[in-house]
Amino acid sequence: LLSLQIKSQGLDKDGLKEHCRERPGAFPSKDALQRLSKREFLRTLHTMLGSILHRLTALQRDVPKAQDLETLNRAKQNIRGFRNNIHCMARLLPDSSETTEPTPAVPATSPSPTPTSDTFQRRLEGCRFLHGYHRFMHSVGQVFQEWGESPSRRRRHSPHGGLRKGVRRLQLSRRNKRLPPRGQLPR
Amino acid sequence: MALFSVLQTTFLLASLSLRTYQTEVWSEPLPWAPESLKVSINSTRQCLHLQWSVHNLAYHQELKMVFQIEISRIKTSNVIWVEDYSTTVKWNQVLHWSWESKLPLECAKHFLRMRSAVDDAKTPEQRFWSNWSSWEEVDVQNSLGHEPLFVFPKDKLVEEGSNVTICYVSRSQQNNISCYLEGVRMQGEQLGPNVSMFNLNHVAFIRETGTNIYCKVDQGDVIKGVVLFVSKVLEEPKDFSCETQDLTTLNCTWDPGRDTGLLKQLSQSYTLFESFSGKKILCKHKSWCSWQVAPESQETYNFTLTAENNLRKRSVYLLFNLTHRVHPKAPFNVLFKNVSATNATMTWKVHTIGNYYTLLCQVDLYGEGKVTQHNISVRVDGEHLFGGLEPDTQYMAQVRCANANRFWKWSEWTCQNFTTAEAAPSEAPDVWRNVKSAQGDCVVTLFWKPLLKLQANGKILFYNIVIENLDRSSISKLLSIPAPANGTEVILDQCLYQIHVTANNSVGTSPASVIIVSGDPGNTEVEEERVKGTEDGFSLSWKPQPRNVTGYIVDWCDHPRDPLCDLQWKNLGPNTTSTVVSSGAFRPGVRYNFRIYGISTERVPYLLEKKTGYSQELAPSDNPQVVMSNLTSHSFTLSWKDYSTESQPSFIQGYHVYLKSKAGQCHSGWEKAVLSDDAVCCKYKIDNPKQKTFVVENLQPESFYEFLVTPYTSVGEGPHGAFTKVTTPDEYSPILIRIILPMVFCILLITIICYLKSQWMKEKCYPDIPDPYKSSVLSLIKSKENPRLTIMNIKDCVPDSIEVLNKQEGTRKSLTETESTKPTYLYLLPTETSYSGPEPCICFENFTYNQAASDSASCGHVPVPPKAPPSQLGLLTSPENLLKSLEKNYMNSLGEIPAGETSLNYVSQLASPMSGDKSSLPTNPPEPALCSEYKMQMAIPLGLASAPSSGSSSFSSITLLDEGEHYH
Repeated sequence: LLSLQIKSQGLDKDGLKEHCRERPGAFPSKDALQRLSKREFLRTLHTMLGSILHRLTALQRDVPKAQDLETLNRAKQNIRGFRNNIHCMARLLPDSSETTEPTPAVPATSPSPTPTSDTFQRRLEGCRFLHGYHRFMHSVGQVFQEWGESPSRRRRHSPHGGLRKGVRRLQLSRRNKRLPPRGQLPR
Repeated sequence: MALFSVLQTTFLLASLSLRTYQTEVWSEPLPWAPESLKVSINSTRQCLHLQWSVHNLAYHQELKMVFQIEISRIKTSNVIWVEDYSTTVKWNQVLHWSWESKLPLECAKHFLRMRSAVDDAKTPEQRFWSNWSSWEEVDVQNSLGHEPLFVFPKDKLVEEGSNVTICYVSRSQQNNISCYLEGVRMQGEQLGPNVSMFNLNHVAFIRETGTNIYCKVDQGDVIKGVVLFVSKVLEEPKDFSCETQDLTTLNCTWDPGRDTGLLKQLSQSYTLFESFSGKKILCKHKSWCSWQVAPESQETYNFTLTAENNLRKRSVYLLFNLTHRVHPKAPFNVLFKNVSATNATMTWKVHTIGNYYTLLCQVDLYGEGKVTQHNISVRVDGEHLFGGLEPDTQYMAQVRCANANRFWKWSEWTCQNFTTAEAAPSEAPDVWRNVKSAQGDCVVTLFWKPLLKLQANGKILFYNIVIENLDRSSISKLLSIPAPANGTEVILDQCLYQIHVTANNSVGTSPASVIIVSGDPGNTEVEEERVKGTEDGFSLSWKPQPRNVTGYIVDWCDHPRDPLCDLQWKNLGPNTTSTVVSSGAFRPGVRYNFRIYGISTERVPYLLEKKTGYSQELAPSDNPQVVMSNLTSHSFTLSWKDYSTESQPSFIQGYHVYLKSKAGQCHSGWEKAVLSDDAVCCKYKIDNPKQKTFVVENLQPESFYEFLVTPYTSVGEGPHGAFTKVTTPDEYSPILIRIILPMVFCILLITIICYLKSQWMKEKCYPDIPDPYKSSVLSLIKSKENPRLTIMNIKDCVPDSIEVLNKQEGTRKSLTETESTKPTYLYLLPTETSYSGPEPCICFENFTYNQAASDSASCGHVPVPPKAPPSQLGLLTSPENLLKSLEKNYMNSLGEIPAGETSLNYVSQLASPMSGDKSSLPTNPPEPALCSEYKMQMAIPLGLASAPSSGSSSFSSITLLDEGEHYH
C-alpha cells in the first residue's frame, strides 16, 4: 500500500519522500508494545486496527485507479480478519489472569489527525499514516514472534498456557485464511 | 397659445443654462453613482466579486450605464486592471462583477474602486463620469492563520499548456524558503518581504492525481504545498448519433474523444438538450445516453450534446426525423420445419415497430461452401422456403431486418443451423481389384473408394458385395462389409466371376459397381517401360486399343516398399490415351510401378502396359556387398549377386570397378580415375546392370590391391566408401604346397609306425646287449671264412689272479644309500708283481660284477670270451654310439627299474681303439699291436645310476672309462 500510495501520488521525489515518515506518537512504539501485558497488547492492537480501518476508508478518496483501490480493499479485508483473530485470542485469555497489571503508557490517540481539505497535506498525511501502519504491524509481528520463542516469558505472562494455545491457533487461522505469514502482517 | 410659447422658450433657456453649468462644474456628484460597494473573494477560482447598486432610479426606470472599475495590487497607486462594464441598470437592482486574478489573492493586497456614467440615448446629457468611489481593500493574508508557511493557489484546475502563478506567504522574514515543482526547484519573484511568486508557463500533464508543488523552509521541517490539477483539453464529442429500435426510446451515442486525464470528480459531464421539447438530461455515461420519446409522437428532434468540465464546454448538434432513425432489433425465434433431404422452411419473428411499419428482412444461407441470399418483406412473422438443398448437409441460416420504408440500419443477425435429411447414395462406389494366384485359387482383393459426401447423401453404414459365378450363374455369394472399410479379400477358384459392390446408408442402396474377375490372373508378360516423373507426377501414355474398350484404369502403389502398398487407381475414359498421375505420397528415390488396364465391353480388365519410374532419381546411397573369390597370383573374381537393382533410388545403368595398386598402371579396358581424395586408381566400367560378377586380371603376384564396386546411374554413382584390400599370393607357393604336403604326410606316417613298432625296432636294430650269436657279425665273419675268428667263451679264459674285495653280507642298502657303496670289482691281474713300462701284452678287460648282479637271474648274457680280437669287435659300433647307448641305458635304469627290485644293471660297452682312423677301420683291419685294449663291460652300480644330476652321471661314465684305462 505504501509504495502504491507514494508512486500514484507523486511523492517519490527527492525532498518530498523524506517527509513521508511516521508521525511520532501516531502508533505505539515497539518498546511500548513489548511492555504491555498480553491482554493489554491485544486490546490495544484491536483498537488500533479499528482506527486503521477507518483511516484506510478515508484514504480511498484519494486513490484514483481501480487497481489500487482493489489493493486497498484487499488490505482492509485482511485487517478485518486479523482483527477478528485478535478478538478471539483476547477471549481465550483467562479472565482471572493479568487483571492487576497496570495500564501501559500507550498513546490512545487516533493514528492520524483529522483529514484536512488541503489535498497536498492530505496526501502527505496519508503517506505518513501508511508508513506508521507498516512499522506498527511489523512491531506487532515481532511481539508475537517473541511470544512464540520465549516460553519463560510466556509462562511469566500466561501461567495457564491459554495464550500459547491462542497464538498457535492464530497462526493456523492465518494460514487458513490466506493471511500474510508471520512477520508480514497485513499491509 | 402665446403664453405656451413663452414658457417653452423659458424652459429651453433654463435647460441650456443648466447644461452649461453642468459642463463647467465637473465635481458635482452624479445622481446615479455606484453605491453600497461590497467586495468578496473566491479563493479557489481566485476571483474578486464586486457588488453594488445605483440609487435614485425611478420606479421601473431602466438606464444604460457604464461602470469603470480600477484594481490595484499591493498599493493603490499600482493599478493593474481597468475595465469598463456596461449594463442596463434597473430600479433597486444589485449589480455584480467578477474579476479573476492571475496571482492568488492570498499573496497580495488588492484595492478596488469604480465610477459610473450614463450611456443611454434617452439621456445624452448625462454622459459624463461620476466621482470615483473610495478604494476597497482586499487583504486575505490576515485571515490565513498562524502557520509558518502558506502556498497558493490550493487545488487549482488548469488546462494543459496554461500559465499559472504560484505564490507563498511566510510568516517569518528570516527563513530561506525553497519551492519545487515535482522535485525541481523553481525560481521566483519576490512580491514582498515574505511573499514570493512563481510563474509557470505551459504547464504539462504529469499524472491523473495532479502535479505536486511544494515549498520548504531550509532549516526546518516545515513543508507546505499545493496540488495543481492539469487537465488535457476537453475535446468535442464525435460521431454523435441517435436511433431507436422501438420508437419509444432514443439511444444516442458519441465518441467522447481522448480522456482529459483527471480524477473522476474533476472529469467532464455530458448533457443532452432537445430544443423542441426543451427537455435536458444529464447523461450518466461518457459515450451514450437514452432519451425517452415523447408520447405525443414528436417526429422531429433537435439535440444538443454538451460536454463540460470546470474549464471548457463543447457542444454538438443533431437534427433528425424519428422514423428515419429506426434500427430494428434482431429477429428472434428462428425455426426450421419440414426439413427433408432437399427442402427446409425457415420461420422467424420480428419485434414490432408501431402499427404500420413493414420490415425488409435479409436471409442468408451458408452450406457446402456457398452462400445464397434472399430478401423478404415482413410485418410480424417471416417465412422462407429453401429448396435445392443437398441431403445430409448442415446449413447455417441467418436473418436480419431493416425498416422497409426508410432504410437506416440493418438489425443484428440471428443465426440458426439445420441439417437436411439423408437420401440413398447417388453414385456407385469406385471399385478396383488386385488378383493374385495362390495354391490354385484366385485371391482377389477388392478396393473401393469412399463416396464423396455429395454422393453418399448420408453416413455409409456398410458395403454389399455380390459375387456371381458367370459359368454357373445360379450360384452367387453375398458379403456385407461394415463401413468404413475400403476393401476386402475374397478367394475364388479359377472361374469367371462378376462382382457387384454397392454402398448403403440408412435410407437406401447406391447403384452397383460391377467388375469382372477372370479366373486367369492375367499375368501377361508385358514389357515394362521406363517413365520419367517430375514433382507434379508421372505423365503416362499408352497405345490406343484397336478393340472396343469402355475405359482405362491406371493403378499404382503409393507406398511400394510397404507390404500394404496402398493401391491407388484412376479411371479414364475410352478415348483417353494419356494421363498424369500425381499423388502427394510420391517421394524422390522411390520406384513406382504403374499398370495400365483396358476395360473391355464385357467389363473384363486386361493388362495393356507397365510403366516404372521415379518422381526424382537420386544417386545410390549404398554400394553392393562384394564377395571376392578365386584369388590367384594374377587375378581374383568379384561377385555381388545379392544386390537388388529394383530397390535402388534410381535406375542402375551399370557398375564401376575401382582398383588401386602401387604400380598405378591400368591395363586395357581400364581407365585412370581420380577419386575425391585425389587418389589415382583404375576404373572399369560395366555397362550391363545385370552383370554382377567381374574378374580382375593381369595382377602382379605378391602385390597389394584395393578395389571398390559401385553402381552408377543417370544422377551419379554410389559413394566412394571403404575399399576392400587384397594381396595376391606368391607364384610358386601352390607348387611347393603340392610337394611339401605329401612329404610331411609320409614322414609323419613313418614316425607313427616307428613309434608303434619301437620295441621291435629296438630289438632288431639296437638291442641293449647285443647278442653275438644273433649278430650279423658272425655272418660277416663266416663270410670272410676265417676259422680263427670265433666267439670267445669265458671258460676259455684263464685268469691270472683274482682279487676279491671285502663286502659285507646281508646288508641291503636303499637306493639313497648306494651312493656311498663302492662297487665290487674283480680284477684280472698279471702275475708279474710290477709293471715297469710298456711291454708287448694282451690285456683283456674283465667283467665286473657286484653281488647283486651275480644274484640276478635276469642276467643271462654270457660274458664274451676274450677270443675275439678287439679290432674286430671295434667294427661293430662307434664309440659315440656306445656312449649314447650307455647313457640311454643309464637313463632307462632310472625310469624303468624300480628301486629295490633290481640292484644290478648290466651294460655292455665296447671300447674303440685308442688310436687309428675310424674310417679306416673297416678297410684296414688292425694288426696286432703292442697294446690293444677292450673296453670292459661293466655293471653300473645303483648308487651311480641314481645320481641326481646328469653331470654326475657323466662324471661316473668318465670315471669308469678312466678306470678302464688303467693298466694292471
